[in-house]
Amino acid sequence: MVMALNKRVFRFLKENKLRYLGILALIILGSYIFVVAAGLSQNLANLVTTFTKEHVQEDLSFNADKAVLDSAKIEKEAGAVIEDYMSFDAALSDTLTLRILSETKKVNIPAVTEGRALSGPGEILLDPAFAKANGYPVGSQIEAAGKTLTVAGFVSLPHYIYPLKNVNDILYSPNEFGVAIINREEFSDIDNAAGIYSVRFNDRTKSLNKQAVELRESLRAEGITVSDWIDISDNKRARMVWASITGMKTMSVPLPAAMFLLSCLIIGIMFWRMIRRESVIIGTLYAQGYRRRELMRHYMAVPLLLAFAGGMIGSLLGLPSIKPMVMAMISYYNVPVPGIELSFLNVLIGILTPTLFLGLSSYLVIRSELKRSPAELMKGDKQKTKVNALERAFKLERLKFSTKFKLREQFRSISRLVFLLLGVTSASVIMLFGFTVLNSMNHAFSASDVYRFEYEYAFRDLQLGEAPEGAEAFNAGKFYSENNEEIEFYISGIEPDSTLVILKDGKGNPIPNNQTNITRSLANRLGIKAGDTVSFINKENGKPYTFHIDAVADSYVEQFIYVPIHEFNREMGLPENGYMGLFSTTKLDIPDEELSGTKSVSELPGAMDEFFGQMVSMVALMTIVSSIVALIILYLVTSLIIEENRNTISLFKVFGYRRREIKSMMLNSSTFVIVAGFLIGIPVAAASMGAVYGYIGNMINLVLPAIVSPLYVVISFAAIMLTYQLSKLLCAKSLETVSMGEALKAGAE
Amino acid sequence: MFIDVSALKKTYTTGVIKNEVLKGLEMKLGKGEIGVILGPSGSGKSTLMNIIGGVDRCDSGRVIVDGTEINKLSDDQLTEYRRKDIGFVFQFYNLVPNLTVGENIEVVSNISKSPLNVDEVLRAVEMQDKKRRFPRELSGGEQQRVSIARAIDKNPKLLLCDEPTGALDYQTSRSILNLLQRVNKEFGTTILMITHNAAIAAMANRVFRLRSGEVVDEVVNQVIAPAERIEW
Repeated sequence: MVMALNKRVFRFLKENKLRYLGILALIILGSYIFVVAAGLSQNLANLVTTFTKEHVQEDLSFNADKAVLDSAKIEKEAGAVIEDYMSFDAALSDTLTLRILSETKKVNIPAVTEGRALSGPGEILLDPAFAKANGYPVGSQIEAAGKTLTVAGFVSLPHYIYPLKNVNDILYSPNEFGVAIINREEFSDIDNAAGIYSVRFNDRTKSLNKQAVELRESLRAEGITVSDWIDISDNKRARMVWASITGMKTMSVPLPAAMFLLSCLIIGIMFWRMIRRESVIIGTLYAQGYRRRELMRHYMAVPLLLAFAGGMIGSLLGLPSIKPMVMAMISYYNVPVPGIELSFLNVLIGILTPTLFLGLSSYLVIRSELKRSPAELMKGDKQKTKVNALERAFKLERLKFSTKFKLREQFRSISRLVFLLLGVTSASVIMLFGFTVLNSMNHAFSASDVYRFEYEYAFRDLQLGEAPEGAEAFNAGKFYSENNEEIEFYISGIEPDSTLVILKDGKGNPIPNNQTNITRSLANRLGIKAGDTVSFINKENGKPYTFHIDAVADSYVEQFIYVPIHEFNREMGLPENGYMGLFSTTKLDIPDEELSGTKSVSELPGAMDEFFGQMVSMVALMTIVSSIVALIILYLVTSLIIEENRNTISLFKVFGYRRREIKSMMLNSSTFVIVAGFLIGIPVAAASMGAVYGYIGNMINLVLPAIVSPLYVVISFAAIMLTYQLSKLLCAKSLETVSMGEALKAGAE
Repeated sequence: MFIDVSALKKTYTTGVIKNEVLKGLEMKLGKGEIGVILGPSGSGKSTLMNIIGGVDRCDSGRVIVDGTEINKLSDDQLTEYRRKDIGFVFQFYNLVPNLTVGENIEVVSNISKSPLNVDEVLRAVEMQDKKRRFPRELSGGEQQRVSIARAIDKNPKLLLCDEPTGALDYQTSRSILNLLQRVNKEFGTTILMITHNAAIAAMANRVFRLRSGEVVDEVVNQVIAPAERIEW
């Protein structure tokens, strides 16, 4: 008997193919995103953690004015491993630089990812992205630093996971820069190579900042002056990859959860309605002796089948996608990939979560209906006797009839309304999310027009006197907040009448440089505002300094507090005319040995184009995904509306309503909910983006503004409305199939 | 004659089975009259009414309503015909569940050129105090009153009632019939009513008895009984 009943399960599915396919697609998408995002973040995190641990990533690096002779003593005092290496920037062309480093054995140990390790002089290991971009396969030869070197293989370096030329850069382009490893002996005939010390502390539980201050003191005691002190936490070459991992992690839960929740809602709504329609059959089966659990099993079959199939398909599709996606993500970074781990626990979660969610929601709905007595059920689909709060609340007398009808149609079912609203909001948020990232990046980089200089020079030693013609002097020191060691930033002394650093307020008005200004990104992270007096610890000497903040500048790229240079020098106990760097509009003739680094602003655009190219593809993908989600949701709701209104549609036909009038009233009734859902999506996208940026900001020391551009809002809105039109087209046909006979034969209400 | 039906034929085909529902039916009804169609299930009552109401088409024959030969109208013209001239009252009321009483009447007034005032119509059916109620908050009799109010709001030339008291108890049925008779008198609306209840024939000007798709008996009542006196 039960077997015969089970034949209906597939007939249910067949009767409403498109609708169930829509639900299936939502579940598939949810499971797929979960398995892929979780797999991606877990694999990336594993790869990076294993690599940095096994290959001993440095905790900090520095330059010293003289060789650290008794490094064993200092290593013991500081509880650290210290190893020095050589670095030389070889210009391969006007636009292409290869940074050649000497091979290390204790810290930042190179990992050969292809080819073989160095076996002697005349060989080089290249960063693979650089080699690929510039055509240097294994076995080929490269001319650099006056030598002809054979490419022995490709290499990953723990302190150059994201091979940025300068530590403060954001974007990397293998067409312009790369790193390489050669034997240390090869440096004997390379002039002007810099020596750099890498340090890794042995005690991983103690504050690294405190250990660093102690190391500085030990070095000072040895009479060694250090410069270019870079903590790993400030080193974007090492930290940038964590932004991607964190981004993936944050996406792996809320997105699939939203999909599953939407599926639960719609399945719940559909089953509740189906069971109501089936009440006579259920009552009859009850009367014939069927048990409640047999009927429960029968009606649970469809949601469980959908959830299980969707979860299974989504998870199984997700598994093979992990490897190519990890490889695609890792291609931005240089990390060895010994293998990709596929988590079967994630697959299990991907299958069981929708099954559990949907099973539970359907169970509750079906149970509430099966509680009624057979006699009550057999009376047929009893009218809903309650008028819901929304229907009651709105007084619509003054509105046009068609408007009233559309509003009533939406208010009729709060669960359906919630589903539509949530669905459109989620789709809009995903879409706006992508566009907001694009816009934020755009804004962040265009906002960097605060810097009017072309070159930035950093000296090894303190300079005294006036800055050369066309240049402005600056000084900078690294500080951190007393309560939050994680947030580190520069306080920079600049000339009070600077024309090369133009800070602006939120309205675009210039802010004077003869006062203390903070960039918006840093102010947001530290939670300070204009007028606050704040105290920060200098990283170099561990002493606190107090600053009164006069204004917040609308700059997002870098995290700075700017003070007039003479005040900075006075506070730090430096000579009044001392400076460590120069901003300049023209190239200055400064001997390389005096410099610890130079930065050219014009190096940015090439990398930016590449970066924005990738961004646009990502945004396009997000727009497509959200359009599909929106289409499924809108189709499901519109087809539900038609299904529930068959009698009304038929009645309208009998009364002489024209085809387009019926179409407009039925299919357009969701318009205002869609507009509302979209409008709600704007602040939600901005807020969630702000939260994600805050999170990522801590990882890479870069805070981006969550700005939703009106242009992108219009584009997103157009995409959502287009999807809506498409869903209406899909449903219009079923409107035509409703005959007048349905109203003429109707049983009730 | 307001309604002039002659040689009306209609056959429904289901697979290989042909069911001849109307077999050359003839009937006439004057303007402002009440006509009652009596007959057992399957006699063709509903099919006849659907064809006169413009929701179905005949295979052959002629149907003239107020001078318009509706069997010659196109689909769009039939829509306009129903829109302007016909009011429907159904056995199970067919109110739109998520619209209030007032809004249910607006369903029709919304597409009428010169509808009657909604409040006036509600007063006529004694439902003015329930204008903001939803159908599910009304009794069956009240729902049928709203259904009649909706049908007469556009001041139709012809009111078609399919078993208007079929789902109601005795007292409520009498009040509904009384209401229909009042509508007929006050608005001069021609009414054609299908019923199983032979007692209702007493309130009609003409009574048509149908059997197997033909009018087997037509009675013209010389004395019209007031609805409140009808008993069964």
